[in-house]
Amino acid sequence: MKSKSSLVVFALGISIAAPIAAVEPAPEAKSNTIPLELEKPAYATPWVRYKGWPEEKWNEYSTLSTLKPSLPANPMKIEGAIVGDPKKGEKLAFDRTRGGSCVACHVMGKPTPSMPGNVGPDLSAYATWGRSDEYTFNYIYDHRSTNPNTVMAPWGTHKLFSADEIKDIVAFLKTQNSPAEFKDKLENPATRPVPVETRDNLDPFLNEAMAAMEKGAELFVKDGASKKSCASCHADPEQKFKTWAATMPRNEPRLGKVMGVEEFVTRHARATTGEEYPLQSSQNLSLSIYLRYLANGQPINVDTNSQAHKEAIKRGTELLNRKLGQLNMSCVDCHTAERGGSKWIRGQWLGEFRGQLDHFPTWRTSRSEIWDIGKRFQWCNVSIRANELQPGAPEYGDLELALSALNNGLKISVPGIRH
Amino acid sequence: MADEMKMRATMQGDVADVKVRMTHIMETGLRKDAKTDKFIPAHFIDQIVATLNGKTVLDAQWGVAIAKNPFIGFRIKGAKPGDKIAISAVDNLGTKYGGETTVVAAK
Amino acid sequence: MVAIGTGLLRSGEVLAATWNKLAFTSTNVADAMKNANYGGAAESKDIQLKLPDIAENGASVPIEVTSHIPGTTSIAIFVEKNQNPLVADFELSNGAEPYINTFIKMSQTSQVRVAVKAGGKAYTQGKEVKVTIGGCGG
Repeated sequence: MKSKSSLVVFALGISIAAPIAAVEPAPEAKSNTIPLELEKPAYATPWVRYKGWPEEKWNEYSTLSTLKPSLPANPMKIEGAIVGDPKKGEKLAFDRTRGGSCVACHVMGKPTPSMPGNVGPDLSAYATWGRSDEYTFNYIYDHRSTNPNTVMAPWGTHKLFSADEIKDIVAFLKTQNSPAEFKDKLENPATRPVPVETRDNLDPFLNEAMAAMEKGAELFVKDGASKKSCASCHADPEQKFKTWAATMPRNEPRLGKVMGVEEFVTRHARATTGEEYPLQSSQNLSLSIYLRYLANGQPINVDTNSQAHKEAIKRGTELLNRKLGQLNMSCVDCHTAERGGSKWIRGQWLGEFRGQLDHFPTWRTSRSEIWDIGKRFQWCNVSIRANELQPGAPEYGDLELALSALNNGLKISVPGIRH
Repeated sequence: MADEMKMRATMQGDVADVKVRMTHIMETGLRKDAKTDKFIPAHFIDQIVATLNGKTVLDAQWGVAIAKNPFIGFRIKGAKPGDKIAISAVDNLGTKYGGETTVVAAK
Repeated sequence: MVAIGTGLLRSGEVLAATWNKLAFTSTNVADAMKNANYGGAAESKDIQLKLPDIAENGASVPIEVTSHIPGTTSIAIFVEKNQNPLVADFELSNGAEPYINTFIKMSQTSQVRVAVKAGGKAYTQGKEVKVTIGGCGG
């Protein structure tokens, strides 16, 4: 049993007798001169989804790497009134296992459960809107038949609800004729205060990822298999890495893809110290946090002008707009103000792109885990029922660069702390 | 499981502000393993005592609902820089944890 | 009634007290308060609670308690809707201020109740904390 009575004092800036003349390869050097291992995958193979995550696979729906055709259903012809069970419909509308439930996005009158969202319109008085049953049915079954850009999932076409279940939901909607009654202003998404992160993310007693930062600093000076450490070539990291992380990710021509700090750590360590720090390993996260920590306070400053980066940002922007998964949602559906951004899905605030990057890797208090931006992308994929890609996938690189470009100028603050 | 305990005690006026962070799973016994459908057995720190120069200042009993990797902050009036603060804790399986720190003057 | 902690390795000299199993396994807040010797606690505004209105994460909810009641000797925390409401009971002595800061688990939106003992009497104060329900489903 050991106890740490004070903060770890970093063994930084110590001079190291390098076995070879320490010609400083500045981090800003042309990327094709930096030693990198280029052949192997950067993640531990075979890739398996994280323990504790949903195990379901959604192979028939689009991912960031694979487009699967999903055509809007032709509107179904329905004569007269739909006969359904409004009680069953209410239960289905509030069932969180069917893609988050209707109240993730809609207030639904008196029966609304706690903390509804407001991405979509308030349906509390839907019965008075004068919509035909046919219209309502088709709207839920596949709204793309009338609005190709809808944020709403094609609940019927993508098999989240059967036609009969949707008829029950229509029957429930036809009972909606009075406003929701909110117990207090926190229940009402229109008056619920927007969460503001005020915790001191660099307080090691609050942010458990600070221990990883300390570990990263220790790894930096630790000799690897090649009897060299990071510090053998990079003395004075606090000076040398003051801005480096703020310029990442960047295109790596030898890999033909965009690479962030994390993958750089993996490939550069393999080629220099001989250590194996695959993506998502604790060592990789520790060093990545440390290297970003050294750039804390620096404005994010990724290159947006070079041809390679212009192309990558264009690809990334396309991916931000790609409809994915069984819920058929794109990044922009949830994270731009024109759509779901700066609104509530149930009790969770959907942030916009700008402001979503500066704190990664971040400590997630709900999971007691450090998540880098790659894992965050993977979780977003799984949340909308799209298969995630393997860590370090080129598509994630393009996304990270496009997202970084949207965050240029915001100051790095790592490790972050979020719920 | 690491058995680390992180501690800091800083004077604020005539009061020592003490922060302690322990590493412990704090398993409630109320969660089911998704694979086996069996409850994961409870494993949690249930008693923790803090002393100032050997005298008990805090004697606590915990249930399963203290958050994972427990944090506790408390304050001791009359402590001085150089005083020793020690923590001993034990979990429901009998494993003991301990740590010690010295009170430091305000920064 | 006192629960007897047999068979458990509690030989540590400073860990002499017996874990109050009865209070920690009580399933409603009234029983838990009674069994932890906070029965009949009077509402008091002199207990100051710092808790969020909304916890985005029930696994780790920050709580700061300060008692302004003179002679406060203990602070207990209860979450009414948890399966076992008693979260922790802190006895203070030898200069420990009537102040506790920790992080607790909440299974759902609930009243969080704090009780203190001072001068042989019990006092209490509560606040509701809403635990956010996520939007992305199960």
